[in-house]
Amino acid sequence: MFLVRNGEKQVNECSPLPSIAVHGLTGCAGELLVILENLEKLIPYVWVSSFPFAQSRNDDDDRPVDIAFIEGSVSQPHDLARLMKIRAQARWLVAVGNCAVWGCVQRGGCRKEPVDSMLTATYGADSPIQALPSTPLDQHVRVDVKLSGCPINSTQLLAVTASLLRDHLPYITSKPVCLECKLRENACVLIENNLPCLGPITAGGCGALCPTYGAACYGCWGPSEEPQMEAMATILQEKGYALDEVMGRLFAFGAPDELFDRVKRSVPQA
Amino acid sequence: MHKSDTCLNTPFMPTKALLRAIVPMSQDNFLFQFRIEEPGPLSSCAPGQFIQLWIPGAGEAPISVCSGSVDGSLELCVRKAGRVTSALFNLVEGDWVGLRGPYGSGFPVKDYVGKDLVLIAGGLGVAPIRSLWQYILDRREQFGKLVLIYGMRHSEMLLFRQEFKLLLRRKDMHVFIAAEEVIGPDLPSVSWQLGRVTDMIKLAEIDECFLAAVCGPPVMYKYVVTELQNKGLKNDNIWLSLERHMKCAVGKCGHCFVGGTFTCREGPVFRMDTLRFLPEVIECS
Amino acid sequence: MQRSAVLSKNRFPDFFDLLKEFGAVFAPRRVSQKSFSFKQVDHPSEIAFEALRTILPPKKFFFQQRETIISYDKDGVKEVKPKVAPQVIFGLHPCDLTGLGIMDKIYAADPPDPHYLTRRKATLLVGLSCMPDKHCFCKAMGTDSPTSDYDLFLTDIGDDYFLQIHTAAGQSLIESQSELFGAASEINKQGFKDFWTTRDQAFPSHFESENLPAIMDLEWDNKIWDDLGNRCLSCGNCTPVCPTCYCFDMVDVASLHAQEGERAREWDSCQFVGFAKVAGGTNFRPGPVDRLKFWYRHKLHGFEDPHGLQTCVGCGRCTESCPSGIDDIVNVVLRLQGKPSVLVTDTPKAGGGSSAGGCGSSAGCGAAGGTCGDAHDNSQSGYLQIERRGDDSDA
Repeated sequence: MFLVRNGEKQVNECSPLPSIAVHGLTGCAGELLVILENLEKLIPYVWVSSFPFAQSRNDDDDRPVDIAFIEGSVSQPHDLARLMKIRAQARWLVAVGNCAVWGCVQRGGCRKEPVDSMLTATYGADSPIQALPSTPLDQHVRVDVKLSGCPINSTQLLAVTASLLRDHLPYITSKPVCLECKLRENACVLIENNLPCLGPITAGGCGALCPTYGAACYGCWGPSEEPQMEAMATILQEKGYALDEVMGRLFAFGAPDELFDRVKRSVPQA
Repeated sequence: MHKSDTCLNTPFMPTKALLRAIVPMSQDNFLFQFRIEEPGPLSSCAPGQFIQLWIPGAGEAPISVCSGSVDGSLELCVRKAGRVTSALFNLVEGDWVGLRGPYGSGFPVKDYVGKDLVLIAGGLGVAPIRSLWQYILDRREQFGKLVLIYGMRHSEMLLFRQEFKLLLRRKDMHVFIAAEEVIGPDLPSVSWQLGRVTDMIKLAEIDECFLAAVCGPPVMYKYVVTELQNKGLKNDNIWLSLERHMKCAVGKCGHCFVGGTFTCREGPVFRMDTLRFLPEVIECS
Repeated sequence: MQRSAVLSKNRFPDFFDLLKEFGAVFAPRRVSQKSFSFKQVDHPSEIAFEALRTILPPKKFFFQQRETIISYDKDGVKEVKPKVAPQVIFGLHPCDLTGLGIMDKIYAADPPDPHYLTRRKATLLVGLSCMPDKHCFCKAMGTDSPTSDYDLFLTDIGDDYFLQIHTAAGQSLIESQSELFGAASEINKQGFKDFWTTRDQAFPSHFESENLPAIMDLEWDNKIWDDLGNRCLSCGNCTPVCPTCYCFDMVDVASLHAQEGERAREWDSCQFVGFAKVAGGTNFRPGPVDRLKFWYRHKLHGFEDPHGLQTCVGCGRCTESCPSGIDDIVNVVLRLQGKPSVLVTDTPKAGGGSSAGGCGSSAGCGAAGGTCGDAHDNSQSGYLQIERRGDDSDA
């Protein structure tokens, strides 16, 4: 009874269905695997215009699409060129996974060491490989939806797709992991075991996977909305974790520099 | 939507409403006219009340009614601001949405009878204030002096333009329309004032006998209230319509708690002196 | 008049079977070294009788963590009826029973919530006496004895349980196997009284609560809120574990099929930054200090809403589950009252390596007046706006 329209669809000579493309920049392909796993569910509703990871033929199709899912961070010049091309052809651009949303470990690494010295140390001085400091997608193009994860959650992926197919922006909250952990009635590893759990400042969506198995959350989904970095650093320090270690944990997964600066400002050096 | 003996009567069940017309009023404010086949309680919305608008798949948002509902028709003036309202702007005539309500206390119009009134609207706050002036003008003889002040940042944001042209001609009310920036040729019969709502309160002939009804963006209230107090109005003669984040609208979800009460049940219209914890209520970031 | 009976402890397995005849039995079970959880039990040996507080309070049985309320397809919109089967919640302590009573009031208030009430009506509540630990302060909140919100209540009087029978449902359960129970003798009654007298004197933590609402009003601007709030992680642990936190979020779950989907509600927390944010980004409680004060006020003062309820029942769950030690209600109240108290914020900030938190330790000022507390230099205006992913606030 409710009429739902899909706005002005991209013209697609192959199919009357809305079209999607799935691309990977610099990342581990974990998100691509999740999308591949869910492809069967998506196929009745979308036309897959391009999915190089899942194709035997390595075509980097540049037809216009309704939704482009992009995994990975921008870490090489050709990542940037592809990103620009995809953005120009996509009605909705969805950054999937921590790499695309926050920059992940490669961004964390680039904060420790200049990218050029890492490149030289790894590949030698006269290597043809080019590298950029790793950055998330939104530092280069407009990103319509940010779906973090490491890897992303299948249910969220399908819900985001469903919303976009109706021309709605999806409702993605970044309430902390602690909420999901409590809902599962896990014993708190931060309190009971004094583990350096980052659940309080990390976006949920994983279902508190690590704490459920007795491990500390290490922040792989990126920061929650307005994370209380200073308080987290204070509490980890009180538990006996040195500031360097705390900072290492807080920033391994590409949290933005501003948060880094905040902790440095507010926590007295040990 | 289907009533049967076995239904739970959950308060979250919406009523089907047909989108009959969309009238653009400014760049991002449209007037949406709905037709409700089985309006039930929606057939009588009091000025200042609100309804929950549901776009399936996108979610619900609280929207003030901007006209008394008559015979199952309802008007909502909506700004494209968030996820749900953006989804509404994607709809076209003939589409369906869900509505439930009306909710909230509304303006105590019975207490206003025989009194001098100043209605103050800022920006989109004009929507609930419109339902109030329409109610009053339908019974004009029951009320005393009537002053309407409507302010906005930019003259392009004027809503209900045609209606204001008519209101400006009326001899039985005094209308001030103010913008901080007036651009382009003046409307023939709209006499723009340059300034803010507070400047208009200073200009208007208001004394301590007036009652005030106020609705506008959150930052507006403390300045307006101060100005009204300068005019001699006591807090028990000032009503504020407050905007809060709402999820359930039936006094359970807790999102609209303000100063110790549910905005959706006790408000959204509050008499100033009944509000405690004013810092949280009218001063905010 | 309330009826009573006694049950010999060695007949408890038979009593348990009787409860199972009513429906599935849920009782505290040990889930870690220190934690318990209400879970289904098939055998009395699985019950953790020693459990003082479970991770989640029993509200989860009626106000579920996540629940679909309505669904829609091409034929229209339908209510989703809750799947309800008779159930017994065993091992509820007085604080939890009072908490459920408060939840009942909220969800039965007009308009009543059928999803909550349907589950509630299908449930038998069986209480169990307990001895307080250092985090319990139900006595201070006046919720230390079972009042109205139970069917049966078991008090441990040594070799027997003293049963208080409060409802017709409880009565008919007892009558269905009356040979299991004995009449309460004078000795039993004395044992019952002695237990509660002993318990009354066993509270390690206590405060006078008569002036609590007034204190909360007077001390609204106390610096202690800044000190505590600046340690707040905004993790929201305090609200799901609270027996009376009833706030929720409503979400649309769209199906890939264009005309299908559902609306669900899920637990939410006033400690999350988006909780009070409206369209356009105005946030009425932008910082952790604002949000923490708001929560404390609801718990210890109550709102001026029609319910007018002080919603803290003194169970100590928040105190136990707050990673930063700021939900130390007893000491916060004592501090506000100007009495000797020890707060986590009293401990000078450790340069790394200090023991976890400061609560419970003998360190700190302990002096009346509460003038100490460390200076966190993160002023509220310093909180950074992180770009929101998906704007939910719509008004």
